[in-house]
Amino acid sequence: MAGSDPHATLVRFGRALRAEGLPVGPDRVAELGRAAALLRPGELYWAGRATLVSRPEQIEAYDAVFGRFFGPPTPTPGPPLRLRVEAEVEEDVGLASRAETLREKSFAQCSREELSELAELMGRIELAVPRRRTRRREPARSGTPDLRRTLRRSFRTGGDPLERAWRRRRPRARRLILLLDVSGSMDAYSRALVLFAHAALRSDRRFEAFCFGTRLTRVTRQLEGSDPDEALRRAAAEVLDWDGGTRIGECLQRFLDEHGHGGLARGAVVVLCSDGLDVGDPELLAEQMARLSRLAYRVVWLNPLKGDPAYAPLARGMQAALPHVDLFASGHNLASLEEVGRALARRYGR
Amino acid sequence: MRFGSAREVEEALRRESYLPDRGLATAVYLALAMRRPLLLEGEAGVGKTEVGKTLARLLGAELVRLQCYEGIDASQALYEWDYARQLLYARALQAGEVSVDERVAELYGPDFLVERPVLRALRAGAGAVLLVDELDRADDEFEAFLLEVLSDFTVTVPELGTIAVDEPPVVVITSNRTRELHDALKRRCLYHWIEFPDVEREAQIIRLRVPGVEEALARSVAETVARLRALDLVKRPGAAEAIDWAAALTLVGAPAAEGEPARETLGAAVKNREDQARVEAAWAELVE
Repeated sequence: MAGSDPHATLVRFGRALRAEGLPVGPDRVAELGRAAALLRPGELYWAGRATLVSRPEQIEAYDAVFGRFFGPPTPTPGPPLRLRVEAEVEEDVGLASRAETLREKSFAQCSREELSELAELMGRIELAVPRRRTRRREPARSGTPDLRRTLRRSFRTGGDPLERAWRRRRPRARRLILLLDVSGSMDAYSRALVLFAHAALRSDRRFEAFCFGTRLTRVTRQLEGSDPDEALRRAAAEVLDWDGGTRIGECLQRFLDEHGHGGLARGAVVVLCSDGLDVGDPELLAEQMARLSRLAYRVVWLNPLKGDPAYAPLARGMQAALPHVDLFASGHNLASLEEVGRALARRYGR
Repeated sequence: MRFGSAREVEEALRRESYLPDRGLATAVYLALAMRRPLLLEGEAGVGKTEVGKTLARLLGAELVRLQCYEGIDASQALYEWDYARQLLYARALQAGEVSVDERVAELYGPDFLVERPVLRALRAGAGAVLLVDELDRADDEFEAFLLEVLSDFTVTVPELGTIAVDEPPVVVITSNRTRELHDALKRRCLYHWIEFPDVEREAQIIRLRVPGVEEALARSVAETVARLRALDLVKRPGAAEAIDWAAALTLVGAPAAEGEPARETLGAAVKNREDQARVEAAWAELVE
């Protein structure tokens, strides 16, 4: 269906790719035009591959659209793509003993009063989010020698470097992002987790929280107030699909599309709270989890069901997600949440 | 050296013992003709780095390699002042061994500048191939810095002024895709995802790279490695591993990748304990 005007055809081709989700702007189409001009007509397929595709997941969509426009492409089919993932899953975080204290009591069994009490305690959890080193260096008492400052100071002492100076990379806490499943099956835990998110957001202005079920909503603003219960009511109002089923894969996709590459999730610690009882497509979930694990610094999954010693992650959604999770814990009571906070600090350093 | 078509690039790479598929050859040709950085992604061991090295040989250019790592910063990529020499020089000034006034400026002159890979490649211009290896290991900040450099190929050293080039160096960036690179950087580059080679091409690669390897052995290794890749391994063996394994089997005098010799030399291809257990369990189907 290639038209008579080659430029118009390429523009329409670019538009069709954009409709398939490839980031093909006018600049890219111009690139394609330049590349195509350098190649023979039969090589248009590869001209587009080099200029319009920028990650392997896009190849399939590109091939399909290319086929619609210019007939079947002639690439050499490679083996199916499998993305490399770190399958390191931590199994035994949390839950040492089952002493009947509030700390150990499952959120599902807590009364409203007990939860309010817990909300207080949650505020004291120190979320030791790992730090990252920034490009900037700052003067410090120890570290690597700061020769520039040492040299400068040496001018004061007649060229002798008597006073030595040091510097180090300025560390900065990573962002923490909470994704809370508030669907029907999580009902018993939703309230406690929102309280937890409320406490976490108050500890750092850069933290973010989202609620999801069949849809995803950002609730950072709603949770910024001072009263957790009021915040919970407002979050509930915002999350319209409260008590509906869960489509984790789609919600995650939406989260990544809107906030992932923009920078929110990049290099962050992402904590997903969900029982993994997903009614969506597990393949989509696996794909999106792989995306998330490449963008985020660490991915933590809190599954309250894991609080039960007999629990095995058999749900299809959970199985699809696990290979992309760095830390898998229960988060069903205060002790477990505290343990997660410590585990982040211990395993990944401050 | 200029190329007139993707096919010419393919043939030239072949002459340098690198066997590209058509897509890669086209991407390389376009990167050269359009003067764009070439971003290569693919699993470890598919020969991404090799592309940069081979290209440098092919173009008769100097290979300037920048190996990225977590925490790399601009001073390690661009330039640094040789502070130790500056200190010594300052001492000499103070002792009156050199006259002071006109010499102070020299403290920040070219003599004391330590060139790092990016600056070195920029100064060499078209005479260099800048290989930015494993960019996914570096931090976001470094990526942003690199984007700046690749956008206009100029660098400003405050004490010396701006360094710009008429003809930029050829730039090859590789990533193992342990994290996603920024879209802004990708927009600057031409992109190619390198697949594992098919059995035919892998056998050819082995024969090119392993001296004295029998054709039957090369083919047998290529076939077995292809089967290994179909297993659900943590680290799938790349072409580099296939080459190592063929070399190991050649050394022990095995005619094919099977039986005891294959089992004993498996460590050349599979380098992870869980993976070895996995291969061990599937051994019977692997080496029919």
